[in-house]
Amino acid sequence: MRVRAKKEDWLKKNADLCIRCATCMAVCPVSRVTSLFPGPKNTGPGAQRFRHPEEPSVDHWVDLCIGCHLCNGVCPAGVPISELNLLAKTKYLNEKGRPFRDWLLTHSYLYGWIGALFSPITNYLLQKPVVKKLLEIILKMDQRSPLPNYQSPLFREWFKGHSSKGGKKIAYFYGCFTNTNDIDVGKATVEVLEANGFEVTLPTQDCCGLPMLGNGDFDGARKKGEKNLSSLLQVIRSGVEILYTSTSCGFMIKHEYGHLLELPGAEELANHTFELFEFLRKLKESGNLNTRFKRLSIKAAYFTPCHLRALGIGLPAFEILKLIPDLELTRLEADCCGMGGTFGFKKEKYEIAREIGNDLKKAIDRVNPEMILTECEGCRLQIRHLTGLKVLHPVQVLRDALLLRP
Amino acid sequence: MGYDLIIIGMGLSGLMAAKTALDLGKQVLIIGKGMGGLILFSNTIDVLGKVPETLPLKDGLSHWIKEHPEHPYSKIGVEGIEEALSSFVSLFPPPYTFHSFEGRNRKLPTAVGTLRPTYLFPTTLSGGAFLKEGNTLIVGFKGFKDFYAAYMARQLKCRYLTVSFQKEGPPDLTATYLTRQMEKEEVRERVGLEIKNSLRGETLIGVPALLGLHDPMRIKAHLEAITGGEIFEIPTLPPSILGMRIFNRFKVYLLERGANFLLGHNVSRVQIKGSICEGIEVLHPPISRFYSAHHFVLATGRFIGGGLEADRERISESLFHLPVFSEDSPERWFRKNFFDSHPIHRSGISVDHSFRPLDHDGKTVFENVRVVGTILSGHHYIDEGSREGIEISTGYWGVKRLFE
Amino acid sequence: MGLKTEVLIVGGGATGVGIARDLSRRGIPLILIEKGDFAFGASGRNHGLLHSGARYAVTDPQAARECMEENRILRKIAPHCIEETGGLFISLPEDGLDFRDRFLRACEKVGIPTHPMSPEEALHLEPGLNPDLLSAIQVPDGAIDPFALILSNAREAEAHGATFLLHTEVLSILSEKDKVKGVRVKDQLTGEEYLIETTFLINATGAWADHFLKPLGLRIGIALSKGSMMITNRRLSQRVINRCRPPSDGDIIVPNHTVSILGTTSVRVMEVENFEITPSEISLLIHETSRMIPSIEGCRFIRAYAGIRPLFMEEGKEEDRSISRGFVLIDHEKRDGLKNLITITGGKLITYRLMAERASDLICEKMGVSIPCSTHLIPLPGADQPRGLKERLKNLPQGETLCDCELVKRGEVETLLKDKKLKELQDLLHRTRIAKGTCQGGFCVYRLLGVLNESEKEFGDSNRILKGFLEERWKGIQPILWGSAVKEEEVVEGIYKVIFNLKL
Repeated sequence: MRVRAKKEDWLKKNADLCIRCATCMAVCPVSRVTSLFPGPKNTGPGAQRFRHPEEPSVDHWVDLCIGCHLCNGVCPAGVPISELNLLAKTKYLNEKGRPFRDWLLTHSYLYGWIGALFSPITNYLLQKPVVKKLLEIILKMDQRSPLPNYQSPLFREWFKGHSSKGGKKIAYFYGCFTNTNDIDVGKATVEVLEANGFEVTLPTQDCCGLPMLGNGDFDGARKKGEKNLSSLLQVIRSGVEILYTSTSCGFMIKHEYGHLLELPGAEELANHTFELFEFLRKLKESGNLNTRFKRLSIKAAYFTPCHLRALGIGLPAFEILKLIPDLELTRLEADCCGMGGTFGFKKEKYEIAREIGNDLKKAIDRVNPEMILTECEGCRLQIRHLTGLKVLHPVQVLRDALLLRP
Repeated sequence: MGYDLIIIGMGLSGLMAAKTALDLGKQVLIIGKGMGGLILFSNTIDVLGKVPETLPLKDGLSHWIKEHPEHPYSKIGVEGIEEALSSFVSLFPPPYTFHSFEGRNRKLPTAVGTLRPTYLFPTTLSGGAFLKEGNTLIVGFKGFKDFYAAYMARQLKCRYLTVSFQKEGPPDLTATYLTRQMEKEEVRERVGLEIKNSLRGETLIGVPALLGLHDPMRIKAHLEAITGGEIFEIPTLPPSILGMRIFNRFKVYLLERGANFLLGHNVSRVQIKGSICEGIEVLHPPISRFYSAHHFVLATGRFIGGGLEADRERISESLFHLPVFSEDSPERWFRKNFFDSHPIHRSGISVDHSFRPLDHDGKTVFENVRVVGTILSGHHYIDEGSREGIEISTGYWGVKRLFE
Repeated sequence: MGLKTEVLIVGGGATGVGIARDLSRRGIPLILIEKGDFAFGASGRNHGLLHSGARYAVTDPQAARECMEENRILRKIAPHCIEETGGLFISLPEDGLDFRDRFLRACEKVGIPTHPMSPEEALHLEPGLNPDLLSAIQVPDGAIDPFALILSNAREAEAHGATFLLHTEVLSILSEKDKVKGVRVKDQLTGEEYLIETTFLINATGAWADHFLKPLGLRIGIALSKGSMMITNRRLSQRVINRCRPPSDGDIIVPNHTVSILGTTSVRVMEVENFEITPSEISLLIHETSRMIPSIEGCRFIRAYAGIRPLFMEEGKEEDRSISRGFVLIDHEKRDGLKNLITITGGKLITYRLMAERASDLICEKMGVSIPCSTHLIPLPGADQPRGLKERLKNLPQGETLCDCELVKRGEVETLLKDKKLKELQDLLHRTRIAKGTCQGGFCVYRLLGVLNESEKEFGDSNRILKGFLEERWKGIQPILWGSAVKEEEVVEGIYKVIFNLKL
């Protein structure tokens, strides 16, 4: 109760900082593609003046905020617009009730392993138009949305059969998607770290909780956060730092656990958790990065995920990959892929997600690369779906440059 | 790792400083909480609007510099200003470039039908200079609230057209939405045709400045091919798509040259030892990061950008706690009427020849800090029409003199 | 042009319009003239409080009783203009509890229902209150929209045949011996001058009462007391918060639509249109009201404004706060031998209906009309319509959002524009929430003028109007320019002086 009142007060004070200047209106990817969303100036600090904790929500459009944090970044007055929207969205969805689909989308960690276990069947089914149609009718998941592939064995299982050797220990928070759908990202991370002389460990971990938070389920997110905190804090207290490869999981752990969820211990964890390439950049600065790169003559384009931008660490992967000889790497001039975590799966939002994605596609077309590199799994799904191109995590390319395999 | 230079502020002056440093081969971190006034006001490059169009701007500037020794321009000189402006213009190779009319100010029409003098402007705006009663069709978009063609047209005694964008539903369209639509060929075909059919002998067509972010000249050319008239853009209420084009161009340039570009992050503290700044702390709850550098540029702008803050008693610079030169009494900050010239806008940081901040005794406060942009004292950019000129030239010379 | 009527009312505040409703319901033909828009004076420059009367229970029981009675009536006849927020009278440590006890007894005596509550209860209802409070007493205060109230009264009067001439100023009063014959007026927008002949003349000019009577060589002795108020960017409390102590400066915080209004000061002034707010008034308001709600100290303000209260001076009472807030009705036949002139002034917004009833009764008595007053029985037009902010948001009309801060759509303005009587920008602003939010019209008034230009509705040169608005706006902004407001003014100056290059 007290926490809630504090948050309420925090919201109001911050909404009061808005100077109505409209800079945020210049960067919002949603209001750029649809007139259904009036833009951050109105949905954030504007509508905040109308909101009251005891009154029903009136601003249904807040549900269209994709949560990209771009508005926060440009606001000269420092209004946390994304947070204002998220809290309003939470209240709106609490009142309106959440469809079963949202539960499914935010609890993929529960069934992801089943999907992976039966991956040949799951993937076969998920590609079937009739299944997609059923998903659309029953669950309001857009049948055109980019459903992920499930892979088997799980990353964690692969790791069991792998013996990591090296000097200093380092812990890896791989995240659900790497575990069930993008196992090679996990493998590549382990291999890159080992090539730099680290022994990789996998701490006990659960879904970071971001899908829930993004869908306004604070309680669900908090439970995940608490669970992860208790196991991860043990890791860092034993002197081992934690790395992550999913910028979304990373943002959640590093910032939202403390900032929005106000979980005790979050700050300590945040100070010892790093994005993989941020960590590699530190190695590079201290002269300890393994830069015995092989030539990779590839034309690739790099896309900055929203959560990486929000992390405020610059573009470390871009900087490191630039060191690889012959790799022709261009940064894409686009801001948001449109996927917004689970946003783009939803029927009512698919069009918006696709339109935002089209702007990214145009930026890709201008560069005409062979492959796209980006840290976020949502972005990778969306870009594959939009372009049909090969889309990898930067660590996969880095691994190839270090240990070119047949 | 220490940077050669950390620039605080991502408005036009900070971006210009970053460009200058990168051009000199320096390692640069640029960090900004927002983009200052760039996306609000920088539709064109004002250098000194007070200089009449009959006079070459150069002559007006040198006269101004003589009369105003405290003005930032006086630290730079006419040639220095020109050098900085050409560095800015070099970012925009044709076709979408910035130019002046024969080195003089030129008046361009505004959305409320007034004419405003400016110095450099993008090619898409130049047609406006030839607007005369009756020779221009002003085009607006239904549901776009930041530009009303009827208002402008009535003031300038021209005809207007309001194009319907959306066939159904209540239109409430934003600048970025329309800008994106204008990038679509099929949309331009439809809009262009509607304009063409509405022309009654007008040779000029004024449209709100929404002709795309990526390739405005192609969009202009396409619309001209359809309509047969000359298209020009008119600045709207903020946000400014014209300003965004400038920002985006800088961003690409800086990132291509390896700048570390941190938009949306707030410098919470600076670490000072004696008269040296050792580094900055960036708070991103719950963690802070520390960045060190040999030199620092403060380009945080005035009140909008948060460079200056006014409470009920005084005006302060909150990051380095630099001495602010201002009217003592808050009662004298503002005058009685809105359209008066408000003294508060003259307040700011005083600097030496190399843009290092000075205290009230004229002594240098920090050896390795340069202060550039509108936060400087001695100007009144609103009255003078000098915003972008000050930002570009001080951003450029603040860094140039540092590494010379 | 010349007009003739039975009753001419001068003054389009709550009282004048209230009389128009009352008399027209009794079938009496009348014209009302107003030099500005409705609510030009104190009716439009107050804190929109639906008084319970509790504020005056100790010091002025008669006024308190009237307030409470009218409070009950207004809830019945004008629910669409009222937000039933309830109010609290809170006692702080420095106030002690002596006044509170007198207050409770006095409220009981005049029939104002009270509900004392513990500090914990009060803090639960209003978490923003000073946690040091000693006690809180709930009273039936509320918030009222004076402009909507006046418009509803006018609508009904018009339906009963009354004529309203806005933007019409009195030039001179024609009289002979013991009678007033008529009034020469000027249409301020067209410049046309003409005569309105009348059988009876009602001076409902509020603070201008003596000013109006001066040409007739009369004076009733009105003291002008300026009260300044400040508007916050958002609601600080859901209830009216009063300080439980004798009436004093900075003792009230009223929620109103999206904002809260802090009031007031009391400064004796000589000129009736002196609306200047001094820095010391601002300091006083912040200092006093932040005792009740501490966050006011660092709060964002969006405007300050002042109104002039007309106070009727009784002999020997010089301190403004001790002068009765009750009203005065003067029959100039008895007082000055002018048979067909009456003056009604003083009072409070909440007692406007009672004032109108008394004035109308007097006129009817003079006319020999015996139809009784019915304004307390019949709901005002619009009373049955859904009301409140949430309703408005649910039913937003179509078109672009002209006012981002208060969510006013183009459709709302277009509906208003059908009313041919609206002649000025301010007429439109009074009838919508446009320019009442955070930016105070920094963006939306340009847009409103854009819509007017598209609608071919001529209010005059748009740039002249825009500049006039910005100057008017400045009067309310200038007193609160610090912190975020300074940043925002740099934006607004940037728009009008830089992008639009408007010059004085």
